[in-house]
Amino acid sequence: MSKPILHIDRISKQYQLGVMGSGALKKDLQAWWNKQVLHKKEAPDPEAYDEANRDYIWALRNLDFKIHEGDSFGIVGNNGSGKSTLLKIISRISLPTSGTIHGRGRIASLLEVGTGFHPELTGRENVLLNGQILGMQKKEVLAKFDEIVDFSGIERFIDTPVKRYSSGMYVRLAFSVAAHLQTDILIIDEVLAVGDVDFQRKCLKKMKSLSTEKGKTVIFVSHHMQALRNLCNKAIWLEKGKLIEEGAADTVINKYLSREKVETLSQYYPNPESAPGNEWIHIKQVAINPKFNTQISYIDTRTPLDFEFSFWFMGQYPENTQILIGFYQLTGECIFELCSEVLKVEKGLIDGKCRIPGTFLNNGYYYVSMHFLNREQDTMYEFTASVAFDVVDYRNAKRPYGKWDGAVRPDFPVELSQVSFEKP
Amino acid sequence: MANEWEWELQAEKKWFQYGLVELWRCRGLLQSFVRKELTAGYQQTIMGVFWLVIQPLLTTLFYFLVFSKIVKVSTDGAPPLLFYMSGALLWGYFSDCFTSTMYSFLHNAHIFNKVYFPRLIVPLSMVITHSVRTGIQFILFLIIYVNYWIFDDAVHPSNYIWLVPVMLFFTALLGLGLGMIVAVFMAKYRDLEQLMNFMLRLFMFVTPVVYPASIVPEKYKVLFWCNPLTPVIETFRLGFLHGGTVDNFYIFTGMASSLLVFFIGLTLFKFREIKVMDTI
Repeated sequence: MSKPILHIDRISKQYQLGVMGSGALKKDLQAWWNKQVLHKKEAPDPEAYDEANRDYIWALRNLDFKIHEGDSFGIVGNNGSGKSTLLKIISRISLPTSGTIHGRGRIASLLEVGTGFHPELTGRENVLLNGQILGMQKKEVLAKFDEIVDFSGIERFIDTPVKRYSSGMYVRLAFSVAAHLQTDILIIDEVLAVGDVDFQRKCLKKMKSLSTEKGKTVIFVSHHMQALRNLCNKAIWLEKGKLIEEGAADTVINKYLSREKVETLSQYYPNPESAPGNEWIHIKQVAINPKFNTQISYIDTRTPLDFEFSFWFMGQYPENTQILIGFYQLTGECIFELCSEVLKVEKGLIDGKCRIPGTFLNNGYYYVSMHFLNREQDTMYEFTASVAFDVVDYRNAKRPYGKWDGAVRPDFPVELSQVSFEKP
Repeated sequence: MANEWEWELQAEKKWFQYGLVELWRCRGLLQSFVRKELTAGYQQTIMGVFWLVIQPLLTTLFYFLVFSKIVKVSTDGAPPLLFYMSGALLWGYFSDCFTSTMYSFLHNAHIFNKVYFPRLIVPLSMVITHSVRTGIQFILFLIIYVNYWIFDDAVHPSNYIWLVPVMLFFTALLGLGLGMIVAVFMAKYRDLEQLMNFMLRLFMFVTPVVYPASIVPEKYKVLFWCNPLTPVIETFRLGFLHGGTVDNFYIFTGMASSLLVFFIGLTLFKFREIKVMDTI
């Protein structure tokens, strides 16, 4: 086993909350007096966490783990679980409230694409500046310069001020700089979802090669479980600043996903008053119900899905209503749209359902949006992102490796047969 | 397995750690920051770098009209144009250094929240940028000065001219020091932004920018010379214009207090540079 390169040793982080007001100065002076003059040490105890206390919040609580050399390390957790805080502390942007981090080697962090890019400067100047901000020496950037520009694929515009760039070009250039960083530890926060699909794939490949080929340690934070699963060998799962699970990436991610599902797969509103909607439509329930037929408890590419919904029609007069159900990728691209029959509905509750068969969707994140149309085909109500789910990759012996392209992955049989033999 | 860790990050920072080795390693970044500041500011302007020259000239002209022609303040016998220009040049240098470094955290919060590098790079790059700008303005001053010297024979340099580079250096040091102190507190207390801009305007009037130190009444003299900028500007004028007098004692107190302010600023800045981001 390789040597640990980073030891997160009982790290806690407390954030002060509250509005800045006239009392803030007095409070600060008191704290300073107590600490510097009276030497009273107010020992913060992250274990004694008080949910009701509105003055401070513990973003991280006694985290303790090690990252080994050459690891590709994923951090998963809900929003607000402390992932970004942890990355900030490791990348020295923020100090922990207690605890120590021991480490070896150079660290570079990419918490945002294009930090420090100046719109007035040209691509060339920005590459140099950004590379140095991220911790490279000038000569290292210059040595890698052609490679960076080549990777970004925007040679033609390298001497144009970046304010003239399209957002795609901007992101490409910025990411290319980061992908060529010369460090021992690289920290990446949710920046893989950049550019077009081709470029994303190129980035992922590059990231993967950093740890597998060059033996670098990479730390990822992402909500993109499939990407993490492809990239990482180890992972931790954080929840409210605490370590829930640590271990092999697959195990941790599966545990996280099967927990996550309860919260995002359905929405339910018991009464019309509090339900989302307008003067025509109020949503009662939307849900994706996976029909598991195996031992696993998360959705993979084999799982058939039932999309079920019910809503109250609130209009005074009966209306010929039609429902469009759109399935979207995380990028906002519509994969397909389903269209219901036209039904004359009256004030009251209406149910609906449809089934997405197994071995149809490709792996990835999907969300479902609903449109309610009236007799003129005008939208009465739009319920966007009603449910969201992650379809996990499942591979059988047919195609065990590589990215499976396409928005859908139907298992239509492809027949092969040899029709003649050439005699040698 | 024994582990030799190379570095450690702890909750509490220690005082008096300046990280000079790290800073030296980042000198390339400092250079790039300076280049960015110098070039980016004049992109897409018609006059470009000429603004550097126009600003002090207009200021000088304005001071000349108001204080020499209307208010009729003495210039200690020096040509008014050179007198006001030297004041405007040095005051501009100080106030530029001060106001730009005091925004170190506020204006760079988006970068400081995303990436680590020695934070000192930012105030240092500001001061270097303004030094280059002041340098260009100083050349303009010299051109005009040489004109007066050779063609009009109106001015003569004195031995104090050798102190001018030192004076410029301590002006920057004072601006940087004060700026760093304010930057640390301003990250949390935004009131300081208003207060400092206001104070700076008042501070100009207790500094001999538009009048010579010689017109200050005797009983306020000691207090007046306690201002570290007073000996700076007076020495500058003494060196070039031969006007006024400077007590060597005040040159030393001025330098000593600038140095003290700088070290307080530096120490405070280094001590709080990371922690301050939690409060911004």
